[in-house]
Amino acid sequence: MYGKQPKRWIINTIFVVLLIVVIIFTFSGSTIKLTRLKNLDYTLGDMFRRIIKIQWDFFFGVGDYQFSQGIVHLVLETFAIGFLGTLFGAILAIPFGFLGAESLVGKKVAKISEVILLIIRVFPEIILAIILVKGFGMNAFSGMLTIGLHSIGMLGKLFSEAIDNMDKSPFEALDSVGANVWQKIRYGVLPNILPDLSSITLYRLDINVRAVSILGLVSAGGIGSILTIASSMWSWELLGTILLAVIIMVMLVDFISSSLRKKLV
Amino acid sequence: MREFTLKSVAKVKQPFNKIWFVIGGLLITTIIFAQFIPFTPSSYRLSELGVIFKRLFVPYGVRTWNDYFGYFKEMQTPLIESIQISLGGTIIGSVLAFPVAFLSAHNVIKNKFISVPIKLIMNLVRSIPMIILAVLATFMVGTGVLSGIVAITLFSFGIMAKMLYEAIETVDMSPFEALESSGANKLVAFNYAIFSQIKPIYLGYVIYVFEINVRSSAVLGYVGAGGIGQVISDNILYNYNKVGVAIITIFITVIVVQIFSNWTRRKLK
Repeated sequence: MYGKQPKRWIINTIFVVLLIVVIIFTFSGSTIKLTRLKNLDYTLGDMFRRIIKIQWDFFFGVGDYQFSQGIVHLVLETFAIGFLGTLFGAILAIPFGFLGAESLVGKKVAKISEVILLIIRVFPEIILAIILVKGFGMNAFSGMLTIGLHSIGMLGKLFSEAIDNMDKSPFEALDSVGANVWQKIRYGVLPNILPDLSSITLYRLDINVRAVSILGLVSAGGIGSILTIASSMWSWELLGTILLAVIIMVMLVDFISSSLRKKLV
Repeated sequence: MREFTLKSVAKVKQPFNKIWFVIGGLLITTIIFAQFIPFTPSSYRLSELGVIFKRLFVPYGVRTWNDYFGYFKEMQTPLIESIQISLGGTIIGSVLAFPVAFLSAHNVIKNKFISVPIKLIMNLVRSIPMIILAVLATFMVGTGVLSGIVAITLFSFGIMAKMLYEAIETVDMSPFEALESSGANKLVAFNYAIFSQIKPIYLGYVIYVFEINVRSSAVLGYVGAGGIGQVISDNILYNYNKVGVAIITIFITVIVVQIFSNWTRRKLK
């Protein structure tokens, strides 16, 4: 066996050469001005100082601002879009999950639903959001629909894998003692897959809540809408305020999601 | 709840099904958070959806099918830019993540004062959604491809560092300890004992992160960080055909990357 393996240093050199090629390729092209890195538009110290100056008034929506304009409200709206969207997507993904499970429906149907789910998954969220905003208005509802529809693709694939890997023995045991279809599902299938499905959905919730910030760019609601304002004003202070709120929210959702998932295993 | 009498004359109560708590909790949360989402069916213009689809993918106005397919040629430069951003950013971020993960794994560096603060900073960077990183990057280095590379590098660094230190912490420590006890210093021991165990896992993660980063190329361009997304944001107001062409390009790119990553993952096993 040792004689047949290529020498280690050959593989290592190939890797290093590939790495260098990739880096050269990355920075070639006339559109990149590497000199910008040397004099960052602000010095790092200045950036840091500005980003720390958090506008607490704006944060909580007190003082000059109403609550509904404050960042806390936007963060809650962001979570609402993420939560409801994921729930909506999860409920609709369940039938897709069953349709995609080879062991239940046979190879052809499973392949077709796999392709449909792939198309839904690959469609970039931002484009879906733009389209839905035109149809449903520039409000959080479009955002919820975007997250929901996109999640159907993602969750459907994971659901069908979970259903495939499910332990079939309780199902068969119930079948052999003569349970009818509803009893078989209720006592044989559901207790098996519900923990898996919930774990997958919680994982997706974590990712989706982060993705909601993108939707605000196209006016579909959530924290992304002030992001555009901060971006056009080049305001570090506003960005710092937004950053603080988003970090807290993401860490909270991450914490809730992982502790619930640990309980499910 | 129903009571059952067993053969041994003992009585057993069917326990309260906890699922009702879960359903109740879900319902309450849904109702609370639904307050934030307006639901006004009267303002919906569903016919608009069909119109948009047609405008995206069928030439309209004075444009012909020749024009439409000609737009694909214009996609070349933005596409290359997007690949530069995703590929370069992923690789640089992953390479940078390696030493940091090494320093923060508690089975390599026994000193908690080093590993814990580094882990904290990593968690912070990880919690920032890609789009905010992109805006941050445009603040730092101006708009254009460079900010895209910076954003993807930071993002990949955050994810890879966490995955790497988790992998390092779950690795089998015995070769490492054996090497250390026979006199090798930590770096050498790490290289031969731990790194060789991690390599396949590391490569798998790099491909996974690359896949995620390719999907973000649409968003990055939208905030001005270069690539195909910029075509979308430039043209969204007046030339839907170009937007449609950009969408198809992104679609094909992501599918190709998915197929490639599935193939590589199967080869790695």
